Amino acid sequence: MDRETLTASIEAILLTANGPVAVVALVEALDDEDVGAEKVNDALTSMVDSWDRPDSGIRLEKVADGWRCVTPAALDSYLRSYHGIAARQRLSQAALEVLAIIAHRQPVTLPEINFIRGANSASVVRTLLDRKLLRMAGRKKVVGKPFLYRTSKEFLVHFGLERPEDLPDPEQLVRDETVPAE
Amino acid sequence: MTTGEPESNVPPVELTVFSGPLDLLMHLIRKNEVSIYDIPIVSICDQYHAHLRAMQELDLDIAGDFLWMASWLLHLKSKMLLPSVVESDEDPRDELVERLLAYRRVKELASYLHDSDIVRRCLWTADVETKISSPAEPELDWEDVDLRLLAQTYLEVMQRFEASHPPPIEVLPLRYKVEEKMTDIYQQVNTDGLVPLLRHLNSRSDPEEVVTVIVAALELVRLRGVFVEQRKAFAEIYLRPGDRQLSAKELLRHGENSG
Repeated sequence: MDRETLTASIEAILLTANGPVAVVALVEALDDEDVGAEKVNDALTSMVDSWDRPDSGIRLEKVADGWRCVTPAALDSYLRSYHGIAARQRLSQAALEVLAIIAHRQPVTLPEINFIRGANSASVVRTLLDRKLLRMAGRKKVVGKPFLYRTSKEFLVHFGLERPEDLPDPEQLVRDETVPAE
Repeated sequence: MTTGEPESNVPPVELTVFSGPLDLLMHLIRKNEVSIYDIPIVSICDQYHAHLRAMQELDLDIAGDFLWMASWLLHLKSKMLLPSVVESDEDPRDELVERLLAYRRVKELASYLHDSDIVRRCLWTADVETKISSPAEPELDWEDVDLRLLAQTYLEVMQRFEASHPPPIEVLPLRYKVEEKMTDIYQQVNTDGLVPLLRHLNSRSDPEEVVTVIVAALELVRLRGVFVEQRKAFAEIYLRPGDRQLSAKELLRHGENSG
């Protein structure tokens, strides 16, 4: 398979795929002895650069251990206007806090979340489960066997992370923000 | 230019919605420009309660979490005001400080997620319907549809329906009673002295009777009317008289409870 066909077929697969595509899945789909993970990765890397131009409406990004096509954020208003979407629901402060706790300490139980937030978070967790940003991860082996929660793949995709560990360290964020008080 | 805030005990009403009591506390600490590590509990506690009162006046629904924190703050305030009997290095505020620090980390991460969310929600992806893999339903020519085909289809549908709706399980009335079996076994044990339970069970052909006998035997053991012994695993299980005399009434009553 020549370089042009390789790039073109990856582009075609990513354009029509339902969600991020892993490199192994691309290698398997291309089904060519000479095309391994390394060649696919090379092609993807050069595609990222060649797509990143002001006159292109598509970008290539790596999220949740896969690659996908997205539009640049700057074009959002035109897309909303075309699709007739006025405004989108925001995540509430409470929802963001629950997500932050789960993302940082997963797997974690509802009582633990409540304790850290100092407020009951049951309904927030339910909403986030409905929005598929969280997933259940079994039960904790303590009294009452509470459910354990983790962030989902959708969470990674939405926040543009490859792995849960890619979240910034909250200690670092605090240090960046607080100018020495004394 | 500045109007100057009126100096009064009532805090200016802010319409900020606090996501929880810790959020409100962090707000007060920031507003008073005090250090998390050295919170002036008395003043912060008073301000916290003033805030709760303001929220009540606005008819805001105050969650129990806010009230819980209010009582904790009062508790800390009294501890700070009262002279301590025992010299201690421990600061009553330590736990509060720890929780506020943990919460501050959460808030920072939440604000990072917020910023990230603002940008990321502006990204769009192709909305491809992947229906290619499921082949379309085969279509029939109108001329090919006759009554025989219709009848056959009906039978197939009914078969599918019955397969997915199995007949309900019929619960038959119990044919053996635990209290009767208890009385039988108890009498046999007391006359024979030793009753081989497994041989007794093997001679029954009805599984329902076997279950009833086992329950009855267990019940007798629980009441200490009968003792069990087994020399080694899988060997015969012997029942022998226990250390309590059971009256007929007791046998009947306990049998009912477990039946």
